[in-house]
Amino acid sequence: MNHSPSAVQSSTGTVLRRIGLGGITGSPVAFAIALGIMALLLAVPATHNDYFQIVFRNILMYAAMAYGWNVIGGYTGYVSFGQVAFFGLGGYCSAVLSANGVDNLFADVALACVVNVAFAIVIGIPVLRLKGHYFAIATLGIALAITDIVANLDALGGSSGLAVHHVDEAHFYIYYYAMWLVALGSMLGTYAIARSKLGYAFVAIRENEDAAAVLGIGQTRYKVIAWAISGMMAGAAGAVFAPANGFLDPSIAFSVDSNVFPIVMAILGGVGSVAGPFIGSLILTGTNELLQRYFISIHTLFFGAMIVLVVLLLPRGLVWLFGLKGGARAWLKALTAYKA
Amino acid sequence: MSATADPLAPGAVAMRIANVGMRFGGLWALSEVSFDVERGSVVGLIGPNGSGKTTLMNVISGVYKPSTGEVTYAGKRIADVPTHEVCHLGIARTFQVVKPFASLTVRENVAVGAMYGRNGAKRSTRASFERAQELLEFVGLARVAERPASDLTIPDRKRLEVAKALALDPDVLLLDEVMAGLNAAEVDEALDLLRAVNGRGVTLIVVEHLMKAIVSISTTIVVLAEGKKIAQGAPSEVLASPQVIEAYLGSRWLKRQEQLKQIESQRAEAERVQPPEATQQPLDPPQHPPEATP
Repeated sequence: MNHSPSAVQSSTGTVLRRIGLGGITGSPVAFAIALGIMALLLAVPATHNDYFQIVFRNILMYAAMAYGWNVIGGYTGYVSFGQVAFFGLGGYCSAVLSANGVDNLFADVALACVVNVAFAIVIGIPVLRLKGHYFAIATLGIALAITDIVANLDALGGSSGLAVHHVDEAHFYIYYYAMWLVALGSMLGTYAIARSKLGYAFVAIRENEDAAAVLGIGQTRYKVIAWAISGMMAGAAGAVFAPANGFLDPSIAFSVDSNVFPIVMAILGGVGSVAGPFIGSLILTGTNELLQRYFISIHTLFFGAMIVLVVLLLPRGLVWLFGLKGGARAWLKALTAYKA
Repeated sequence: MSATADPLAPGAVAMRIANVGMRFGGLWALSEVSFDVERGSVVGLIGPNGSGKTTLMNVISGVYKPSTGEVTYAGKRIADVPTHEVCHLGIARTFQVVKPFASLTVRENVAVGAMYGRNGAKRSTRASFERAQELLEFVGLARVAERPASDLTIPDRKRLEVAKALALDPDVLLLDEVMAGLNAAEVDEALDLLRAVNGRGVTLIVVEHLMKAIVSISTTIVVLAEGKKIAQGAPSEVLASPQVIEAYLGSRWLKRQEQLKQIESQRAEAERVQPPEATQQPLDPPQHPPEATP
C-alpha cells in the first residue's frame, strides 16, 4: 500500500509521545517499587546474619524461578508444571563442573543456560504442540521423569547426590550477590521482553493462537523461544543454588516445593507483569518462613489457606491492584465481573 | 507465471483457484472450484449457508490444505506455505468469528499485525505503533485505541479485524462476513471503508450474506452452492441466473416461476392470435395464475 501522508505521520507521532508506548509490563508503579526493594536487598549481607542471608537468597531464587514461569505460563499462556526440571538441571551443571575441578559461578550459570536452552528446544518442539491441560500434564511428566533419570545415573551421584564446591564461611555472601544478579537479570529480562516485539508475540499466542498465526507469528518458534528463556532463568537460579547449598541430590534439585512455589508466587504477584513474580516471592517466601517459625507442624495449613484467599480475592494478582482506579468499589466490581 | 506479465499490474491475474476440492471425512465441502482473481478487483463470494464459502476462505488463507487442486498466488502454491508465512506473501484475512487479543488494547492488537506482518521485520516497535495508530484513524477506531479489545462493540470488533488485517500490508484481503450483525447505517459505513481499502489498490475477496451490500461493492461475483461453483460474472447477470435463484430460493420456487412465465406467454400468444372482440365474451373465463410475489 502506498500511502503515508506526512501530516498523518506527525500527528500519530505526537499522540504516541503523549501516551507512551505502553508495553505489556503491568503497572509501572509496581515495577518501580520492585526495583526499589531489589536495590534495598543489596544491603542484606552487610546488615544481617547468615540465616537471614539464606532467607533472602531464597526470596531471590524463587523470584528468578517465578520470572521463568511467568514467561511461559504468564506471557505465553502455557501453564508449565515442569519448571523444576530446568532448576535441577542448572544445579547439576554446577555439580558436574565442580566434580571436574571448575570452581567458577559464571561458568556454572553459563553452562546451565546453554544446557537448558538445548533441553528446552529438544523437549519443547514436541511438547509445545500440546495445549491446556495436556501441556500441563506433559510438563509434570517431564519433571517426574527427569528426577528418576538423574536418580539412576551414577555419573550424577544417583540418589545419594553430589558434593558441590562451596566457599568458606567468610565469603558466603558471594552466593547471595550471585543470586541477586540472577533475580535482577530475570526481572530486567522480563521487562525487556515485555517492551519488545517478542513480548507481543508471546501474548498474541496466549490470547489466540490461530489469530496469531494469521498475523505472521510462527507459533512453534515463539513458544520454544519462550520456553528456552524461562528455562534459562530457572536454570541460572539452580546453578547458583547448588554450590550455595554445597550438596545436591535429586530430592533437593527436583523438589515439589521448587516446582509449585514459583507458580503460586507468579500468580499472587500478577501473571504477565514485570513486578509480579518478585513481589509474589517476597510475600510468600517471607510468610512461609514466619509460619514455619511459629507454627512448625501446621504451617502448611495457614500457607494453603492464604493461597486460597489470594486466588479468590486477587484473581489477577497484587500488581493488578495498582492499575485499579476507584478504590474498594472498583475492586468488588472487577471481582464480580471477572468471575462472571 | 510468465516473466513478462507484471503480477502487480491492475487487471493481471493475482490469484488462481484451480479445481479446489476439500473433503472432511465423507463430505466434500468443496469440489472442483476454479476461478481467477484479478488484481485490484472486488470478488464477492456468495452462496447459501453451508455452501463452502468459509471453507474456501480457509483454503485460500492456508488454514486448510485442499484435498484436490491448488490455490496459487504470485506463482506460489498456498498449500506449501506455512499458515504464519501466508501473510508475508501479501494475503491477509479476517475471521468470521472475530478473534481479538482480548487483554491487549485496540492499538496493541493492530500493532501486533504491523510487527509480524509483511513489512514487520523492518519495523521497530515504535514504528509498528505508529502504523497501528494510522490504521485506527483510517478505520475509525482511533477514539478507542487505548481501550482493551474486549470492551469493543460488535461493529467495532469487525473494524478491528479489518485494521489488524490491513496492518499486514496485504495485496489481497479476505473478508469473512465483516458485515454480519451490523445495522443498515453500519453496513453503509463498512462499505465505505471497504471501498477506501480497495481504492488503495488492495484486491478484496468478500464473503457476505447481505445481497445488497455485496452487489454494490463487487466487480465479480462467484456463487457457491453445496461446495460447487454454480455461477460467476458481473453482479447483475449472476443474480439473474436461474441456477443462482434455484440455489437460494429452491427448485420449487424456480419451477413455479417457469410455469407462471409459460402461462403468461401462452396467454399473450392466445391474445395475439384471437381477435380482441372474441375475448369480450369468453366461453370459459381464463384461469388466472396466482399473483407472483416478488
